[in-house]
Amino acid sequence: MSSSLTPSVVNKSTRNLDPILLFLALVLTTLGTLTLYSAGKGTTHQSLWIRQSVWNGLGLLAMLLFSRFDYRRLAQSSLPIYVAGLLSLLVVLFIGHTVAGSKSWLSIAGVSLQPSEFVKWLVLLFVAHRLGTKSPEALNVWDLAGAAGLLFFPMFLVLKQPDLGVAMTYTPILLLFPLLRGIRWRWVVAGVLGFALLSTVVWNYKLKVYQKERILTFIDPSRDLQGKGYQVNQSRIAIGAGGLWGKGYMSGSQTQLNFLPVKTTDFVFSVWAEERGFVGILMALALFGVLLHRILAIAGEATTAAGTYFCVGAAGIFGFHILINIGMVSGALPTTGIPLPFFTYGGSSTLAFFLALGIIMNIHHQAKSR
Amino acid sequence: MDLRQRNLLRERLATFQAAAWLMVLGLGLVYAWLQVVRRSELQKLALSQAVKVRTTPAPRGIIFDRNGHRLVDNRRALHLVIQQEDLPKDLSLVEALAQALEQDPEQMKRRVQLARVAGTKKSLIVQDNLDDASLARAENLRARFPFLSIEVAPRRVYQGDELAAHVLGYVGEVNPQLMAKEPGRYQLGEIVGRSGFEAARNDLLKGQDGQRKSLVDHLGREVALYGLENSTPGQSLYLTLDAGLQKTMQDAYGEERGAGVVIDLRDGGILALYSSPSFDPNAFLGHMSQNDVDQYVRNPTQPMVDRATQGLYPPGSTYKLLIALCALEKGIITPETTFTCHGKKAYYGREFRCDAVHGTLNLIQAIARSCDIYFYELGVRLDVDEIHATAAKYGLTELTQVDLPNELPSRIPSREWKAKHGRKEKKWYAGETISVAIGQGQNGLTPIALARFYAMLGAKGKVLTPHLLYGQRDQTGQMVILPPPKPRETGLDSKIWSALDEGLYEVVRSGTAHNSALPGVTMCGKTGTSQVTTFVDKAHYRTLAKQFRDNALFAGYAPRENPQIAWAVVVENAGFGADAAAPIARKLCQYWFLDRLKKPLPPPGGKLPDAFDEAQSDEAESSVLPEPITPADKVLPKYPEAGAQR
Repeated sequence: MSSSLTPSVVNKSTRNLDPILLFLALVLTTLGTLTLYSAGKGTTHQSLWIRQSVWNGLGLLAMLLFSRFDYRRLAQSSLPIYVAGLLSLLVVLFIGHTVAGSKSWLSIAGVSLQPSEFVKWLVLLFVAHRLGTKSPEALNVWDLAGAAGLLFFPMFLVLKQPDLGVAMTYTPILLLFPLLRGIRWRWVVAGVLGFALLSTVVWNYKLKVYQKERILTFIDPSRDLQGKGYQVNQSRIAIGAGGLWGKGYMSGSQTQLNFLPVKTTDFVFSVWAEERGFVGILMALALFGVLLHRILAIAGEATTAAGTYFCVGAAGIFGFHILINIGMVSGALPTTGIPLPFFTYGGSSTLAFFLALGIIMNIHHQAKSR
Repeated sequence: MDLRQRNLLRERLATFQAAAWLMVLGLGLVYAWLQVVRRSELQKLALSQAVKVRTTPAPRGIIFDRNGHRLVDNRRALHLVIQQEDLPKDLSLVEALAQALEQDPEQMKRRVQLARVAGTKKSLIVQDNLDDASLARAENLRARFPFLSIEVAPRRVYQGDELAAHVLGYVGEVNPQLMAKEPGRYQLGEIVGRSGFEAARNDLLKGQDGQRKSLVDHLGREVALYGLENSTPGQSLYLTLDAGLQKTMQDAYGEERGAGVVIDLRDGGILALYSSPSFDPNAFLGHMSQNDVDQYVRNPTQPMVDRATQGLYPPGSTYKLLIALCALEKGIITPETTFTCHGKKAYYGREFRCDAVHGTLNLIQAIARSCDIYFYELGVRLDVDEIHATAAKYGLTELTQVDLPNELPSRIPSREWKAKHGRKEKKWYAGETISVAIGQGQNGLTPIALARFYAMLGAKGKVLTPHLLYGQRDQTGQMVILPPPKPRETGLDSKIWSALDEGLYEVVRSGTAHNSALPGVTMCGKTGTSQVTTFVDKAHYRTLAKQFRDNALFAGYAPRENPQIAWAVVVENAGFGADAAAPIARKLCQYWFLDRLKKPLPPPGGKLPDAFDEAQSDEAESSVLPEPITPADKVLPKYPEAGAQR
């Protein structure tokens, strides 16, 4: 990607950095890193916050670069980028290494990357570019079916890894498009029915035992208090123990005494909840709300349909991550390994989120400077 | 895009924004539910799993003999346990654990459920007394079963193994029967005395368990300490037992079965009490091996039964002293009264036999030579209820009140007794009194009751209470002797006593036990031989199997001039009392009056001869108090005590 970066298209000024998104990214990243520090203290993950800070630094750098790079130029070369993304997923299936049962990691110069986290955004970029020839009004079923087809191949490859969690995060790319176009109720009903049918088939033929177990445990957490239910149960205790004002930074008993499992990744938000309380939660939720609001606002001012579509898709992806993770740790939604943007430890997802923010900033910049 | 389209787009995007805020609101409500509404409930849960109150078992008191030799000691032992709050709900885990430990899964499941229902602070012992190999395995198991933990607890060590098993008893977890008997007194899993002195004086020995309130992490490891309530060690006690005399008795019995008791005539203290075959109490502390079960529990010779307090033996001729005492007190005879023995005589139409043809003899001679005919004559002249009354007066009908559990009362027949317990016949026949007069028939005495009767004779009419508790160890490690139970005066006439004393003296000087006379010590005693099966003739008797041979008895006191000890010795199926039982008594006197003074045992803490080698551990190794599992030097003040926050 960086090979297509040429000086001629890079705007030297910093005015293209949307101050609202920049502020949100910096604040959320700071909160996330502080939480990681507390979560890792005294464990084998003690130095995780340093590594995450490095990724955050790289992410900010990527955001800076992409905010200056004309997204329309980027969209024009999105076909080869899409193909390259598919290839990387294919390569992972052969030479990738396995973490937690999913063969989804590539080691490059000692750094582990998860291509599926990047491909998510590349697919969105390509879909936005393809549909960008038409205004939302003009989109028809075949356009959307074609986009779904583009989504199908990478999702299929990710499911092969198998990584259900990441594959699920591909779906919000398209979820909002029919709504954007305007849709008849009968289609909504048909969609729901179709989803139900699909779910049945997937449940019976596609889901692994542990995946079914996760869903069953979600429905009844007491089913498995020592295993998966244990995690959610401990997480709920941590959240509740935080109360209104929180136990104080680095003072949550659930966190510091390790009752809270996987507290640097999936359940990092529970650490925040326990130590900062409901007040902290409201603050974080507000920040996430503003983030989504801002992205959707930029969608409205985009100069091209592709820009609008990219922002809408991005809002879908961000919203999905936020909803699923925050809902999951509170026990309101099933346990899935979906990272919370700017909080969960992880290099690839962090880098990819920042990268997306960079593109959105550029869309905003192009609209402003028109 | 034209304006209309852009407006429509903006409208839709505004809807999306509203949806995003709706989502944020929804999530906020979920968190409000947990963090505001259910706050106190979840905070309590968080505290309850982070703050744990654990019992630190108190070491039981050490048991010494009267000279300060350690008979029961404590060692530090490691147990694999499940803390009460960690008891797994998932029984399949328990089953897997039982299989990993090669234990019975059903039993373990039952124990886990019982422990949960009981809800005590005691931990459930899964495997006790871990050695190095099982400790390593236990550490591995903890990775698989995080609810396991390893606990340091004091463990009993019974020195001398089988030396004084029936005196000391052993300890174990309180069993459901005992808990049901006295509800609320015991906690499930509590270590209590299960038999012997350990059970009889459990309340003194057990001490007060301590508690430690600490902050633990998810693996149950202590992170910080909040409160420590030290355990109070149990009271260390001294027994009246003399380890040397006890050892002498153990050696004297060897492979023979039976029981012997030696009583100190000054206060009724038991100097030695041995029941043979004995058992090793150390085998009962943990999971018993099949070998031990076979050897001790399923053994037809019943090593677990304390024959000294629970074995009822026909007293045979040792009973004649009671008959003589009864007849003298009733004035039926004087010591000079004579009867003539022709070797046999018919009473009530049935022939009764004597061992020999003794000719004419007085009471002294009759006792010395154990003439049955003389006592048949007394039996004819006495009523069974008169005999029973005399037995009651001299303490034979009641429990001796020895501080050992489950003592059985001796069986002294009377009309009332037969009316209540007679199998077919309820009526007493005079002919039966004849048998009673020589200690056969329905008579059944425990060795300790017999010893007490002869102690009464040795103490000139004082009925003593045999007891084991001699003193207690005070804070400075000094022995404080406790007052013994008060003796009961019976008002035994001194002339009558002199006659009996002379008879008993003659038994050893010139009578049936003259072979067991001990130069330098004037022993007084009476032999007894009680039939186990019907006597036909001597030739027939020789063909009998061992278990049908007669029981041999010898009871008495010494020395005659100034009686100091009394004893009763019963040897099962050993034959003639003078041959089998009297030599044991002689060995006891030999040790007590001669060897002990010439070659006293080394002072406590040093080495004892022979089997005592391993019995004596140096003081440092047998330290009583367990060390804390982890040094808890830091206290995090941030977490309040459980329950403080509501």
